[in-house]
Amino acid sequence: MTGMNARGRWLLYGVLTVLLVAVISPFVWMILGSFKTQGELLQSPPTWWPHTATLDNYTQLFSRLNFKQYFFNSTVVAVAVTAGNLLFCSMLGYALAMLDFKGKKALFGVVMGTLMIPGVVTFVPLFVLVANIGLIDSLPGLILPFLAAPFGVFLMRQFFLGLPRDLLDAGRVDGAGELRIFRQIFLPLAGPALSTLGILTFLGSWNNFLWPLVVAQQEKTYTLPVALALYSTGQNSTQYGLLLAGATVVVLPVLLVFLIFQRRVIEGIATTGIK
Amino acid sequence: MSTTTEVTPRGETGSTSPSPRAGGAGRRPLGEGRAAWMLALPFCLLFLVFTAWPVVQSLFMSLTDTKSRDLRSPFSVNVIGFDNFTRAFADPVFRKAALNTAYFVVIGMPLTLGIALAAAVALDKGITRFRSTFRLGFYTPVITSIVAVAVVWRFLLQEEFGLINTVLGWVGITGPNWLGDPHWSMPGLILMASWRNFGTAMIIFLAGLQGVPYVLHEAASIDGAGAWQRFRHITLPMLRPTLLFVSVTTSIGYLQFFEEPFVMTNGGPLNSTISMSMYTYKQFGFGNYGYAASMSYIIFVVIAIVAAIQFRLLRDNT
Amino acid sequence: MRRTSAMAVATIAAAALTLTACGRNDAGSKATETGKDVSSGKATGTITVWAMGAEGEKLPALAKEFEAANPGAKVNVTAIPWDAAYQKFTTAITAGTTPDAAMVGTTWMGEFAGNDALDPTPPAIDKSAFFDGAQKTTEVNGTSFGVPWYVETRLVYYRTDLAKKAGYDKAPTDWDGLKSMAKAMQTKAGAKYGMGFQAGGVGSWQSIMPFGWSNDADLTKDSGKAYNFDSPEVLDAVKYYQSYFTDGISDKAAPATPTTEPDFKSGRVPMFVSGPWMMSAVEKVGVKKDQYDVMPIPAKTKSSSFVGGSDLVVFKKSKQRDTAWKFIQWLSDPKTQVKWYSSSTDLPAVKSAWQDPALTADTKLAVFGKQLETAQAPPSFPTWEQVVAGFDTEMEKVTKQGADPAAALKTVQQQADSIGTGQ
Repeated sequence: MTGMNARGRWLLYGVLTVLLVAVISPFVWMILGSFKTQGELLQSPPTWWPHTATLDNYTQLFSRLNFKQYFFNSTVVAVAVTAGNLLFCSMLGYALAMLDFKGKKALFGVVMGTLMIPGVVTFVPLFVLVANIGLIDSLPGLILPFLAAPFGVFLMRQFFLGLPRDLLDAGRVDGAGELRIFRQIFLPLAGPALSTLGILTFLGSWNNFLWPLVVAQQEKTYTLPVALALYSTGQNSTQYGLLLAGATVVVLPVLLVFLIFQRRVIEGIATTGIK
Repeated sequence: MSTTTEVTPRGETGSTSPSPRAGGAGRRPLGEGRAAWMLALPFCLLFLVFTAWPVVQSLFMSLTDTKSRDLRSPFSVNVIGFDNFTRAFADPVFRKAALNTAYFVVIGMPLTLGIALAAAVALDKGITRFRSTFRLGFYTPVITSIVAVAVVWRFLLQEEFGLINTVLGWVGITGPNWLGDPHWSMPGLILMASWRNFGTAMIIFLAGLQGVPYVLHEAASIDGAGAWQRFRHITLPMLRPTLLFVSVTTSIGYLQFFEEPFVMTNGGPLNSTISMSMYTYKQFGFGNYGYAASMSYIIFVVIAIVAAIQFRLLRDNT
Repeated sequence: MRRTSAMAVATIAAAALTLTACGRNDAGSKATETGKDVSSGKATGTITVWAMGAEGEKLPALAKEFEAANPGAKVNVTAIPWDAAYQKFTTAITAGTTPDAAMVGTTWMGEFAGNDALDPTPPAIDKSAFFDGAQKTTEVNGTSFGVPWYVETRLVYYRTDLAKKAGYDKAPTDWDGLKSMAKAMQTKAGAKYGMGFQAGGVGSWQSIMPFGWSNDADLTKDSGKAYNFDSPEVLDAVKYYQSYFTDGISDKAAPATPTTEPDFKSGRVPMFVSGPWMMSAVEKVGVKKDQYDVMPIPAKTKSSSFVGGSDLVVFKKSKQRDTAWKFIQWLSDPKTQVKWYSSSTDLPAVKSAWQDPALTADTKLAVFGKQLETAQAPPSFPTWEQVVAGFDTEMEKVTKQGADPAAALKTVQQQADSIGTGQ
């Protein structure tokens, strides 16, 4: 802790703690709310601690939901999408950052352009396309269109730009092939960026609602968020307790993934940058 | 340790300068260009299959009078050129939505990025204990269901019993009716969006900060540089590629600002929080696909211009 | 990068332009379609049915009985969340991946039928068996596509105990009576606001138009070929609605999320207009059954209200059209409708089902049943949602800013005229 005295550090802890409380309170409220009755959830002003704690929301949720199936679908989709993005985005991101080749600028333009197009405008044409190639009502239909997102390419490119170029030249001097330089020298250094991309991609895929809803023709292809939405909102009413219980159940795997990947970020410190 | 000058990120200009060819080129099994395209292949294939055609079709749609009933025969519609675009610019609601979006981005983006960067630096270098607790805590808004967020924030922003107004009351300020008053609804949503999104920017900043060698800080503080000076002259320049990434992606997200007004205000009161994306979404809902597509591409152009400005500003200036 | 992508955009656009200049083969106003007959005998084959939310969850049990009566038939129900159900339908119609039959929201009928996606109702189904207003939701351009499945309508909810305090033993039956009652709730029964009207914004037409229809308003003119918002009848209703806000009986700055149930329980706002689902909602927050009641929308000329609910349709693409219709016919049977009511609490769309003791026993329900006889649906134009969004926005100005109702309706009418009916 160079350059910071004890008082300054305490002050910083104080500020961060206040911020932390402000920031996590809705999350805490969501979990507490999942144990409340509909009546209590509609009270004004809202309560913090459940007056009459109930497990009803959870028992209802699990008895009405084919939970295993939906959990399985969500996991397969999110893991596949995350793996694809980690691999493909780091490949192209590296090429765009470190290598020289014809069409590089145009390719980067395509990546950025794709990133900037509002998804809502291509939604219907994309669905028709996916329907025409017969991917509807299948897990590949949920995975393939999201396997290499421009967001990830851009993230990895920016990260690789921050790495020293000497490593590339050194690898070439040693006679290593281009792909080997990427695989054995640069990829191991990309831990923090890959972890970040992993967290963000997993979260995005796990929470994706509209696309799985539209692609699934039968309930057996539903993912968790789609299935949860089934019971919580009606035409004219919302079952807040069920909704919050569902949201809590959905968020747990995300928390786990966050914790796992975050550890990699810390481990990454030891191996990244200048040794 | 001796390579401190080389670790400076090269930003945009670096990518255009020809890379120094190392000796012994003949031994390389794969040319640089071939290797690059091999690495690009999966993305390009997926792009060609799943993005290119929908983009072409939606672009075409923006130049036609396509309504939802035409979608089954997308090419038997009337091409009306740029009529949709001129119509959008004359549409008072769209203009209002554009102003709202600008308001949101201009205030919301610096706020979000400022908090995110401050939190990231504090967690990276400022403190030593409970790091992972704070990191996880600051990330929870991102993973909390928008429904729970909406319920809690409506409570926070309430006029009478709202937490924010209660706190303001302690220092003698009478808080406004945040969501009910057209002047205060947007500030309320900006606050909420910053709260919701700073966690994402924070973890990307944290990843970027791992690339800033600690030895540089050590050397500088031996030379007597204060914390702010080190941040300004070491951390910030090293962080430039990350900064560019975060600011570009945040501006893309914020220019497509949608979820917060959608769950909180539905664009009201009196259209004070309707955004360009939300209005576009509504037009899609009404089945005006041609018109909505043209508005989408107006948003696209705005985003591209804003991104281009950021690429210029944050380019490496060495 | 910018130049490259700009060029790419230009090239693509040019390519797209040369691709087609076909233009739309304008069908003009479509002729009335007539439904084909359905074969007689038992239903056979497998059909897929989409249904939303709770209906999607409870329908399979009922469908089992249909399968038992028709051994060769199988019904696969796919439950769909209400959230984004509309998008699911429109994309399915676009890509031709529709199910055989489905439950659809009443206000979607115009658009889906306009997309040529729906099969006209076969003549064997007796259209007069349904509530008139509900049956009208299935009719697009003179053709009926599908049948009403279940219905809902809007009534005035009020706290009977507080009404007594305010000097009301009986519900008023005309506009002035309702307003005096709401006022008395404030002056004598301690209410902050007498009436919980929605201050404009999304969906507010559903609480304003019941008053319009109770004043004989017709939202169409030129024999159903155009919208008609700036009629004297609608104007009266809007003026009446506005007066609640100018007189301080309703809250101008109503919160973004209405706190209807808790406010009803605490007596802060002891009256509001809503549908049948509110009965269980207010009881859930602790309002006792004998503490409140419902009354028909008070009349200017005759009491009327808004009728909503869901319809059942068969898609044109269905390969099992006959079986799908037989299933729907079976669901419209009064006996099935009563059974469905007891498992889902959805109100029957078939009039004769209301004679069943299961429904007559509840006095509040009976008021809904009575109101349904006169309740009306908005015109089934494909552009209705868009036009009424403009209405909702203008009504927000009327209630919150005291804008002139006549000018507001003129604006709505102009927008409606420029958007057109879409037929």
